[in-house]
Amino acid sequence: MTKWNKYLPVILLALCSVSWVACTQQRQPCLTPKIASLIMETIHFKTDTSTVFVDTALPSGLFIPLTNIGIDSIKYPLGSTFTLSLSPDTTICQWRFTSDTLNAVAYYDTFTFYYQRKLQFLSNACGYTDFYSIDSVHTTHHIVDSLHIINTSVTNNVNTKHLQVYIRHNF
Amino acid sequence: MSIQSICRYIYVITFSLVTILCSSSAYAQADTARADTLSGKKVRIPDSAGHQLCLGIDMVNPVRNNFYSDRYGYEVEGDYYLRNEFYVTLEGGWGGSKVTYTDLKYTTTNTFFRLGFNKTILPRDNKKDWDMMFFGLRAAFTPIDRSAATFTILDSLWGNKTGSQGPTKFNAIWAELTGGMRVELVKGLFAGWNVRGKFLLNQKSFRNEAPLFIAGYGKGDKNAVFDFNLYISYGIRWKRKHFR
Repeated sequence: MTKWNKYLPVILLALCSVSWVACTQQRQPCLTPKIASLIMETIHFKTDTSTVFVDTALPSGLFIPLTNIGIDSIKYPLGSTFTLSLSPDTTICQWRFTSDTLNAVAYYDTFTFYYQRKLQFLSNACGYTDFYSIDSVHTTHHIVDSLHIINTSVTNNVNTKHLQVYIRHNF
Repeated sequence: MSIQSICRYIYVITFSLVTILCSSSAYAQADTARADTLSGKKVRIPDSAGHQLCLGIDMVNPVRNNFYSDRYGYEVEGDYYLRNEFYVTLEGGWGGSKVTYTDLKYTTTNTFFRLGFNKTILPRDNKKDWDMMFFGLRAAFTPIDRSAATFTILDSLWGNKTGSQGPTKFNAIWAELTGGMRVELVKGLFAGWNVRGKFLLNQKSFRNEAPLFIAGYGKGDKNAVFDFNLYISYGIRWKRKHFR
């Protein structure tokens, strides 16, 4: 196999070069959401006695976390799907909500979420986060008729809806 | 396409070429010891190549250690010539990683072992020719110690949260396909390289604690990785009984 001797340096050099170039040191980018999101959908019955319901696009939904330390509120444009997050420090948190801040008389409801937390390692790129399991959700009834929990598991999967909020038909 | 992706593809292509070469050359393989038929009775012809125990160290990892500040690893290997161009191989090493990101900090250490074989795919020029082009299989195992991890969850709405998780221990098991070559530079002293395709078999068991780096394997959060080794080794030889 002596003929291989003369090719060895070239082959080694090529492979070593590839190996060294591949050795770029950097943290991989985090490509998944780092914060677990609770996704809420607003719907309403067509009439007071109807069993047919349709998506309700809120004209200018406003969500205010009552125990936050930073942002005062989250204002959404016209839409029927909203993303909230739960407090990672406690097992209860509250959000105030109104459907239309442009209206002269704004009615507010308060959602109270009861849940359990579970620490979750996402990856070395993303680190740790908290996932949640919802026990129950309570609400006041100025605008909201009722709530329906679709999925109790709140993770960083943004394609899952967790909560349906039935808006009173006269709003 | 990033440089890392290009390099990954080069690795894959190189490894594939070696594998194809192995399979196509296998037909041309002439074993030094083969079964012969004499009057319907099989007679095994003794292997005239003698015994060889080869011990080596990997030269790539010490170089890599200088490029990476967050991981290190060392590897040694040994192989023993059985017969019919089969070598039994035992490889081992140690290493670790140190994650010091702003939102995640922990360290890992592990010592690994690989057991398997190499099969030469080119015929010898003569019985003293120990150069080899080979392919091989490995089964590998390592226990991993992960220190307590401290972390910060960045949350602009509710505020950042800092915490820690206690130390853990878990095992990693993987299989390897390998191919490469080794040539005798001077009597008994060899240099050689091999490429490896590594396939993690039990990632589910530590998916929630996947370490940044597993010495002997690579990135702990990947199910399959390619790697490259460059060995300098020394062979100790002695004759077989039949040929003294």
